[in-house]
Amino acid sequence: MLPIAAVLLLGCTHESGYEPNVPGGNAERGRRAIAALECGVCHEIPGVPGAWGHVGPPLVAYRGNVYIAGKQPNRPDVLMRFVRDAPSLAPDTAMPAIAMSETQARDIAAYLYSLE
Amino acid sequence: MNEEHLQSVLHAAPGSGAELLSGLGIVLYVGAALIFVAVIALVLHATFTDRLRASTRAWVVGGGIVFPAVALFLLLNYSIAVGSAVSAIESGSALRLLLDCFRIDSKARIPPPAPGSLRIHVDGKQWWWDVRYEVRSGDTSSIVLANELRVPLDEPVELLLTTSDVIHSFWVPSLAGKVDMIPGRTNRLVIRTSEPGIYRGQCAEYCGGQHALMALYVIAQPREEFEAWLTRQAQPAEAPRDDLLRSGYDAFFKGRCPECHTVRGTPADGASGPDLTHVGARHALAAGTLRNHIGTMAGWIAGAQDIKPGNPMPDSEVYTGRELRALSAWLESLE
Amino acid sequence: MPSLIHKPTRKVVLLAAGAFGLVVLGAIGAFVVLLSGAYSTAATTQHFKITHRLLDAGLKFSVRSYANGIEVPDLSRAGMLERGIACYRTHCVQCHGAPGIARHAEGRGMLPIASDLAQSAREWPPEWLYYVTRKGVRMSGMPAWEFRISNEDLWSTIAFLTQLPFMTHRDYVELDARSRDLSCRAPTEVPRERSPEYAKVVFRQYACHSCHRIEGVVGPKSRVGPALVDWSRRKYVAGVLPNNEENLVRFIRDPQAVSPHSLMPKLDVAEVHAREMARYLMALE
Repeated sequence: MLPIAAVLLLGCTHESGYEPNVPGGNAERGRRAIAALECGVCHEIPGVPGAWGHVGPPLVAYRGNVYIAGKQPNRPDVLMRFVRDAPSLAPDTAMPAIAMSETQARDIAAYLYSLE
Repeated sequence: MNEEHLQSVLHAAPGSGAELLSGLGIVLYVGAALIFVAVIALVLHATFTDRLRASTRAWVVGGGIVFPAVALFLLLNYSIAVGSAVSAIESGSALRLLLDCFRIDSKARIPPPAPGSLRIHVDGKQWWWDVRYEVRSGDTSSIVLANELRVPLDEPVELLLTTSDVIHSFWVPSLAGKVDMIPGRTNRLVIRTSEPGIYRGQCAEYCGGQHALMALYVIAQPREEFEAWLTRQAQPAEAPRDDLLRSGYDAFFKGRCPECHTVRGTPADGASGPDLTHVGARHALAAGTLRNHIGTMAGWIAGAQDIKPGNPMPDSEVYTGRELRALSAWLESLE
Repeated sequence: MPSLIHKPTRKVVLLAAGAFGLVVLGAIGAFVVLLSGAYSTAATTQHFKITHRLLDAGLKFSVRSYANGIEVPDLSRAGMLERGIACYRTHCVQCHGAPGIARHAEGRGMLPIASDLAQSAREWPPEWLYYVTRKGVRMSGMPAWEFRISNEDLWSTIAFLTQLPFMTHRDYVELDARSRDLSCRAPTEVPRERSPEYAKVVFRQYACHSCHRIEGVVGPKSRVGPALVDWSRRKYVAGVLPNNEENLVRFIRDPQAVSPHSLMPKLDVAEVHAREMARYLMALE
């Protein structure tokens, strides 16, 4: 009884902090782009079948992460750049620049920010 | 790149053996379904009618002996005709008569390859395919690749199928029937298609833990494109063009890669893993498991055991991030 | 033979039910207060007097019990005072002050307030001081210094503390000037009996859990750094070095030397402690 009440009451607490949003990004298209580019070879990504790689960090609940790769603030513009061209923001990273369109990068960012 | 075809016996490529086989299949499936429906109808009729119109004896002789004998006789001959048409053998006059009877015209028949024409040796391994082109008789060392075959359009190409370990089965459903690869034997399969594109195939005989991730691609293209590709495949790898690729090249030799992999034109001459001389030009990585781009290449090198647990390729474990990226870039540059 | 178990009377049953009911009601009441936001967490709201007395007494009884059996070394050896004040200057004066020297700003507004050590050292035996300094005090600002000060220098600090009640401002300033060139030494050893439990303590003592969610370590729901779970499966440290114990130690000790753009700072982790952390992480499957 008490735990249920707790969950209900705590669930009602409205926290209005920073909400990353990607204007024009389509999360579902982003999910399909992630599957097509096979990002899951290196990353664990919820909602993408077969995405359970351990080479890069798991991208679980990505919306709430404070930093990208521990190096950059987790903001839509930075994330869009990072998914396409990680070495330009983190020169020593193992993640190569991946050929994709700007729309794909936008959609992928939208999908990652949909993971709570 | 060409279109990737659906991997299915029901999507047989025009001009392929699979097309004849799917014709035979349809006759069998549809025929069997019709006979089944007819038998059920007769059973129902016999159940609900007081008096049979025909005599019992006529039904037994007609339906039990005459019809099966005729149907099976026709089917047997039809399947012999299809079998000979897809086997790329010289047909004698009796066979030719049979083929004509069933209207399998000479264009649909796979002709025997001309003497001295292209032969491809495909060797099944746990869990990938070693592919060697025999351009001149007996020479199979100059064009070696893995998990991918390219063939010219409209020409019968002879495949010689062997295995280095356990039984595998070579099956590209849209092109031909499956042929087992049996230890100690060389089996033969001739494929042909008149539609360009990328055909997926896979091992069709359980061969161990990663059997499910043992696929390959057959890419059919016009003769000129094929020739250009073949010429390029015969070349050794190009020297690295810039600093990034050079450091990737160095990383290849810093790790244990050359112990198993060959890159023609470099000191790397390992024989137990796929030849990587032109790996950047391939459609897929890890025996049809991953699309081929720099990201999947890096992921495969660093996490091969996560992707195909138990396969002979270890996780790299020695490369810094920069080295891994450079190595992947170099391998992708080998086109 | 008469039964030893008496059947409870109706009165006893009612009393027990009533008591239980009160406990449940109290818990619900406390919960409602918690959720209503009525309880102030501001450091400007003082404790009730009784709360303060109770906490004080609790601390004293706990320290007496846990410090029991600690053997005090000779605290009068040459050089101990000098080393002791070097540590005091580096780590203690900020919150506790010294004779005639004010504590720094952060040491003034704490709740509970850090005690003046001239009084503590008058009232408490050295082994109690040692225990509190070494292990810290939970729910107060006092950290466990064993992770920042070597055991030898911990005792030097205690040697200095035992002298503190008898020092004038001038004595303190002179001693401080005399030991100007000395610095407080970091620990170089870990307990011989290592265990995952010890590694968890090490993580907490370097504030790792303020940024990372760490398997097995209770802490905030940190989303600053990556979650340190299933770590042995990971192929890379910070996306830069192959993941193994050696590289983890390297990264933990000096993150920005390994990955120049990393936002993880250098936390002066002793090598032995970094190794404990690395071993713990590499055992997470």
